[in-house]
Formats: sequence, C-alpha cells, structure tokens
Amino acid sequence: MIEAKWKTIFRYVVLIAFLVVILLPFYWMFITSFKPDFELGAYPPSLFPDHWTFQHYVEAFTKYDFGIYIRNSVVVSLISTFLVLTFASMAGFSVAQLPVRGKTPLLVILLVISMFPSIAVMSPLYMLLRNLNWLNSYQALIIPYTAFNLPFAIWILRNYFLQLPKALLEAARVDGASIFQSFYRIYLPLTTPGMFTAAVFTFVASWTEFFMALTFNQSNTMRTIPVGIALFSGQYTIPYGTIFAGSVVSIVPIIILTIIFRKWIVSGLTSGAVKG
Amino acid sequence: MTSQTEATPTSGSMARTVRRSLQAPERRAGYGMLTPGLLVIGAVTIFPILYSVWMSLNHISLTENGFAMSFSGLQNYSLVVHSGNFWHSVWFTFYFAVVTVFLELLFGMLIALAINGIDRLKNLSVVVMLIPWSLITVISAQMWGYIYNGVYGVLNYLLQSLHLIGAPITWLGSATSAVIAMMVADIWKTTPFVVIIILAGLQMVPKELYESAYLDGANAWNTFWNVTFPMVRGSIALAGLFRILQAFGMFDLPYVLTQGGPGTATQSLAVLGARVMFQNLDFGPGSAVAVSTVILVLALSLVFLSAFRNLVREGESE
Repeated sequence: MIEAKWKTIFRYVVLIAFLVVILLPFYWMFITSFKPDFELGAYPPSLFPDHWTFQHYVEAFTKYDFGIYIRNSVVVSLISTFLVLTFASMAGFSVAQLPVRGKTPLLVILLVISMFPSIAVMSPLYMLLRNLNWLNSYQALIIPYTAFNLPFAIWILRNYFLQLPKALLEAARVDGASIFQSFYRIYLPLTTPGMFTAAVFTFVASWTEFFMALTFNQSNTMRTIPVGIALFSGQYTIPYGTIFAGSVVSIVPIIILTIIFRKWIVSGLTSGAVKG
Repeated sequence: MTSQTEATPTSGSMARTVRRSLQAPERRAGYGMLTPGLLVIGAVTIFPILYSVWMSLNHISLTENGFAMSFSGLQNYSLVVHSGNFWHSVWFTFYFAVVTVFLELLFGMLIALAINGIDRLKNLSVVVMLIPWSLITVISAQMWGYIYNGVYGVLNYLLQSLHLIGAPITWLGSATSAVIAMMVADIWKTTPFVVIIILAGLQMVPKELYESAYLDGANAWNTFWNVTFPMVRGSIALAGLFRILQAFGMFDLPYVLTQGGPGTATQSLAVLGARVMFQNLDFGPGSAVAVSTVILVLALSLVFLSAFRNLVREGESE
C-alpha cells in the first residue's frame, strides 16, 4: 500500500503542528523567566526578550527558598518511590505467583481505591497528622504518597510477575531456597522493566502532587515545589519571572527522566493502566 | 485460586506431590508478603475513607491538641444539599469532566489517526508528548494564568494581531470565558497522553487487516469504522473512564488558575470541600462534601465494574 504523497505531507503537517502547540506555552514560560521585571508586564509583550537576565533565577534561590522546596520534593519523592517499590514488588509477586486466596476481589478493590479522589481522605488524615504533631514533616507526605501509589504499582508488577513461569519457584524450592529468597534472587531481577515503570509513575505522581502537600505542609521550610510555586507571591504583583525561573529549574530534571525512561512510561500508560 | 487447578503439563506426578507439600508454606509466605503493602493502603486510604463517613455525621470542633466530635446525624448532609454552592460544584465538576474528556478523546483519536505510521521523529514526538503528562499542574496553571492575563497576556496580543478581537479581554474575569480558558488548559495538558494511548492501540492492529480492507475496496471511512475502531474501542473506553473519574477530584487547576472564580464559577467539588474544611474549619460539612464526592465517583465506577472484572479474569488465565 503506497500512500499518496499529499497524504504523507498532511501527516507531517499535523504532527509538527501538534508538537508546536504542545511546546509554545513552554517557550513562553522559558523566555519569560529570562525577561527583566519591566518587560514582564509590558503590553504588547515582546515575543523574544529584548534584554536577557538571570535575575529571576538568582532570586528564586536567594530572595525565595526554592532550593529548600527542591530538596523537600526530592526527599519526599525518592523515599515514597523506594517504599512503593519495596511493598508493591512483594505484593505483586504474592498475587501473581503464590496461592493466596481472594486475589480477584483484592485486585478489584485496589483498582477502585486507586480511583478515589484524594479529597476523600483529607479530613481524617489532617486530624490524624495534627494529633500526632506530624503536620509540616516529611512523613506527612511520604506515607500518603506511598499508600496512594501502591495500588497501581501492585497492578503493574503483578502483570510482570504473571509472565514468569511458576516452574522457576518450584525449581528454586527443590534446590532449598526459601520463598522469599526465590522472589528476591530469581524473580525480582527478571521484572526490572516493571520496576522502572512503577518507579517513574510513583516518582512523577509524588513530584507533581499538590493537594496534600498544600494542606499538610504549608510552613515555608517544608513546602514541596508545587506548593512553593503556587504560593510564590510578591507584595503588589505576581512575581511571574521568579515563578517561571523556578518552574524551568524543576522541569529540566523531569524531562531528562522522561527521555531516559520513555519506553517504560509508554508501556505503563498503555499496557499497565489500560489493559490491566 | 487458579494455581491449585493449573498443573504444568511438563511436571510429572513427582513434582505434583512436591508441589502439594509446598502449597501451605507458599500460601503463608504469600500473605506475609502482601501484609506490609495492604497495611499501608488500609491505614492511609481505606480507614480514612470510612472515618470521613463518620466525621460527616458529627459536629466537629478543633481543640488545642485535637478535636471534639458529637454525633449529629444527617445534619451536615442537610446543610450540604440545601446549599446552592454544593449543587453548583457538582454540576461544574460533572460537565467539566465530561466535556474535557470527550474533547480529549476526540482530538486524541483524530491526531493519532493522522500521525500513525510516521516513522521519523518518533522518539522526539514521544518525549514531547510526555512532557505535559509529567508537568506539575500548578506550573501549567501559572503558565496559562500569565498567558490569559487581561493586562499583559500574550493571548490578547495574538488575537489582536490577527484582528479577531478589538480590545484586550480579561479571560478569567467572566464565568463563561474562565470555564473555557480552564478547559483549554486541561485539554492542552491531557490530549498528548490520550494520543500516546491511542497510538499504541493503533499499532496493535495487524497490518494484514488493512491490506485486506484495501483489497476489498473499502474507503477510508469504512476502514476506520470496521477495522480500526473495533480494535481500539476497548482501550479508548477505559482511558476515558479513568480520566473522567480522575477529573472528578480536580483540584490543582482551579485552585491556582482561578481560585474557583470568578465568584464560584469554577469551584470544583474538591476546591469546595477544601475551602469548607481548611479555610472555614467546618470539618463536619466539609467531610459531607468529600463523602458525597466519593459516592458520585463510586456510582460511576460501579457501573463499569463488570468490565474491570473481565479484565482481571483475562489476566489470571494468562
């Protein structure tokens, strides 16, 4: 089947137009972060900065505490991701390979839970954290992020463990390995792609989460990046220059992550989330 | 469950005996390995959801180092269902979710069909399409807020240059334009994600099907309707459902872009609930709003539960 030439051209036009529409707002944010203050509020706006300045990048880390926000986001996201991988790999292995009862209802319940909006748990968690004196702490976010990302990770990893033969376990057991050893030494290394997928999804979800972070950790030294960016405020105007400088700084590492892990993200989006 | 009946064809009676003697410890280990994860999920999601229900049936007042509750029956719910704000939020959340998800699926389908089969630029396109997915919604909201600004926003400038509008418009200043502006921001962020899902579905359609449709003289529309669409229908329906349920909890975008305004025009259920709880400190009525949201979400997901069940079964028989 050879396509008419105009059809091919049409395909490329759509693709390029689509990519441009995706990227244009980023372009605007990017150049805005380099504009000096007097150009930020100018109308008509300059589509390319007349003067370039690093002022906002400096301010984000000196006048504002963007460095602290980055540290908080990194700590919370990394620890949540680690905990999710630990718990989810064991649970996924158990559901896929071991003869536990009630798998189907369990998996359905997990699926339903993962669709609950976080508003459902906000008031009790807030009360609980307040009673424990844990508001404005790392654990106030790490624990809920772990819990909320576990169901999806368990599903993803279960799918990977299901593809491995049960005979592996039998062989290892006959050779005298304990069940946990078989899991840890034999099965786990074979599910690395699934671990990558679960890790990236948990990390991105924790990195971008706003509602709980805003509610539980409002004090300036405990804010994560989204809370910091939402609450940046000047005396009279919204400091867009600083907001976008901070945004650019926090987007770059995620883009690098996306480039490295794109295969596993796509497989998670398609087979994991949708196919089950 | 299934593993008890499933005997691997290669394993002889010897292996089967071994297997039976290993079954009990395997089951115990299975429960042991499930426990930590399920404990965390239970403590931080299931227990709080149930406790929300209890809180919504009580008067709650904050004390110095805790809170005091007294049972008040359905009073909080009566307060909620008699408030215009609540029904307005229900309606806004509902139609915002339905309209944006419908448009995302439509645009996603059209774009995916158009660009399917392009081999060049593939890696670049995937990375670019994933950027909005991994973008912090708060950043996207600030970005669009700056673009929509009525005084120095670039959108007004572009539209004026094209002579589409005369004077600059305060996009977030009136209810209708604020809702549309917010929909655009949401569609911009999510359509690429839908395109990726549909593209993956399209790539699983066997090439031979297209070839035979072509040989049968089917036109483009027939081919789409009889060959392509049936193959991707399932994944589109599920992606759409997930998105709608997710959209029911929408908080970040309205909170940052419009603060629910102008007035309460863009106040989603989550924003309303958060305001009642954490600004007014009315935890009883706030919990009632939260529980009502959950009931709506549950009702929606129960409708589709049978579909999920089939998916789970499929997975287990693999």
